[in-house]
Amino acid sequence: MPFSYYARLSRSQQAIYRKSDEIVEVRLPQPAALHPAVESLTTALASEDRVTVQHATDRLIRGLTDALGLPAVEVQVLAARPHAKWGELHGLYTVERGKTPTIQLWMRTAKQRRVVAFRTYLRTLLHEVGHHLDYALLHLRDSYHTEGFYKRESSLFKQLVPERRTPWPTVDAWFRRSPDERLARLAQTPDQIRTAIAGRGEAALGRRPAPQAWAPTEIVCYLRDAEEMFGRRFADILAMDEPALPEAGPAERWASERQYLRHDPALALAHFRRRRGETLETLIALAPEAWQRGGEHPQRGRLTIDLLVALMAWHDDNHLEQLTRALEGRP
Amino acid sequence: MPTMEEYAKQPTAQRLERLTRTGEQLAAAIKGQSDAALSRRPDGKNWAAKEVVCHLRDTEESFGARFAQILAMDTDPRMIGADADRLAEERQYLRNDAGEALAAFRKRREETLATLRSLVGEQWKKGGIHATRGRMTLDDFLTLMAWHDDNHLDQLQRALEGKA
Repeated sequence: MPFSYYARLSRSQQAIYRKSDEIVEVRLPQPAALHPAVESLTTALASEDRVTVQHATDRLIRGLTDALGLPAVEVQVLAARPHAKWGELHGLYTVERGKTPTIQLWMRTAKQRRVVAFRTYLRTLLHEVGHHLDYALLHLRDSYHTEGFYKRESSLFKQLVPERRTPWPTVDAWFRRSPDERLARLAQTPDQIRTAIAGRGEAALGRRPAPQAWAPTEIVCYLRDAEEMFGRRFADILAMDEPALPEAGPAERWASERQYLRHDPALALAHFRRRRGETLETLIALAPEAWQRGGEHPQRGRLTIDLLVALMAWHDDNHLEQLTRALEGRP
Repeated sequence: MPTMEEYAKQPTAQRLERLTRTGEQLAAAIKGQSDAALSRRPDGKNWAAKEVVCHLRDTEESFGARFAQILAMDTDPRMIGADADRLAEERQYLRNDAGEALAAFRKRREETLATLRSLVGEQWKKGGIHATRGRMTLDDFLTLMAWHDDNHLDQLQRALEGKA
C-alpha cells in the first residue's frame, strides 16, 4: 500500500517509488565488525562534545560505506536542530553533481538543546545514509520515503544494534512470559515465604547455614528492602524521562549495615507484603505502553519497567530457593 | 545552632568541616549509655537515641544515591522523598545496635565527603527537584546536611534526657 503522495507522482516517478518499495533490506557483510564503531558513538554522545561526536560518526560512516562498497559521503555534525512551525530538522542529505554528497546531522534538540538520545541519533544517521544508498547502491534516480525505504533503514539499525537480550540469561524466561503471568508470580511470594518459615522460631530463622550464606531472616529482610528499592525505581522511571537509576546495595552491605540478623522475621515479612502490595498496585494501574519506559543503570544499561518486572519475578524465585536451602541448613 | 540560612552563608570548606565532626559527636553522645537507655523513646511518637543514629546512617546512604543521580543526569532529577518514620519501623531501628549503626554511618559519611570534595566549580550548581523544597543544588544539599546533623544531634541529646 503506497503512501498517499504516490498518487501525485508522475508515471516515471511512480516506477522509481515501486522499485524503492520492493527492496526491504540492506545486508551488511559483517555487521559485528561495525559494533565497536557504534559503541564509540554511544560514548561520544554521552560526552556531549560535538567534535568527539563528529569523529565517532565519521568512523561509523566510513565503516558503512567501505562495507557496502559505496562512494564516500561527508558528514557534518551540527549543534542544535533548526526548527520551524512544522517541527525540527533532524538530518539532511544533499547531493550535488561533481561534489561529495553531504549528510548534516544535528545532535541537540531545538528548544531545550538537549543531546539527542543515541538511538534517535543513529536512526537519523541511517535515514540519511538510506538516501545515499538509494542513489549509490540501488541506482534509483530519486530517493523517496517509501515503506521499503523505512524497512531498509530499520534493517541497518537492527544489524548495528542487535536486539538486546536481557542482561541476565535466567531472567529471559520470565521476560518472555506475559505481564499477567509475571504479576501473578509476584503476588504469590509473600504467601510462599509465610509457608516456608511457618512454625520456625526466631533463633532457627537467624541461623546462617554457612558463615557467608544468609540466614532465612536476612533473606526476608533483603526482599523487603529490595521491594522498597524497586518501588523507588518505578517511581523514578514514571516521574522522569530516562532517569539515571542509582546503584543500590550491594545486598551484603545492606545486610550488615542494617543489621538484618537482629530483625524480627515475621515483622519483616509483614512489611515486605505491604511493599509488594504497593508495587502491584502501581504496576496494575500502568498503561501497557508505560512498561516500555525506562532508565539507565550504571552497570546494567537501560532498564525498562518490563524488564524490571521480569527481574523481580526471577529475583523472587532465586531468593525463595535460597530460603528453602537456608531452612534446610544448606548454603 | 546555626539556621539553614546561616549555614548557606558559610564557605564550602567550613560546611564540609562541620560534616566531618558528626561521627565523633555522635560517639561522644552515646558513650557509656546502656542499650536500654539508647532504646528508650521519650514518648510514644518521638525517636529513641538509636533510632536517630540509624536514621542518620540511612539518610547518608540516600544522600549518596541522590548525589550520584544528580551527577549522572543532564537534567535535574525529581527527588522522591522517603518517609523516615516508615523506614524506622520497617528497618526495625529499635532492634539495631547503636554502636554498629554509628560505625556504618561513619563509613557512609566518609564516602559522601569524598564525593563532595571531588566536586569542582560548576558541578556544585548541579541539582535536583526536591519534593517540598524545590530545586536544590549540591551546594544547597551540603547546607541541608550540616543543618540536618545539628538537628538530629540535638534530638538525640533530648531523647537521652527523656525529652521529646
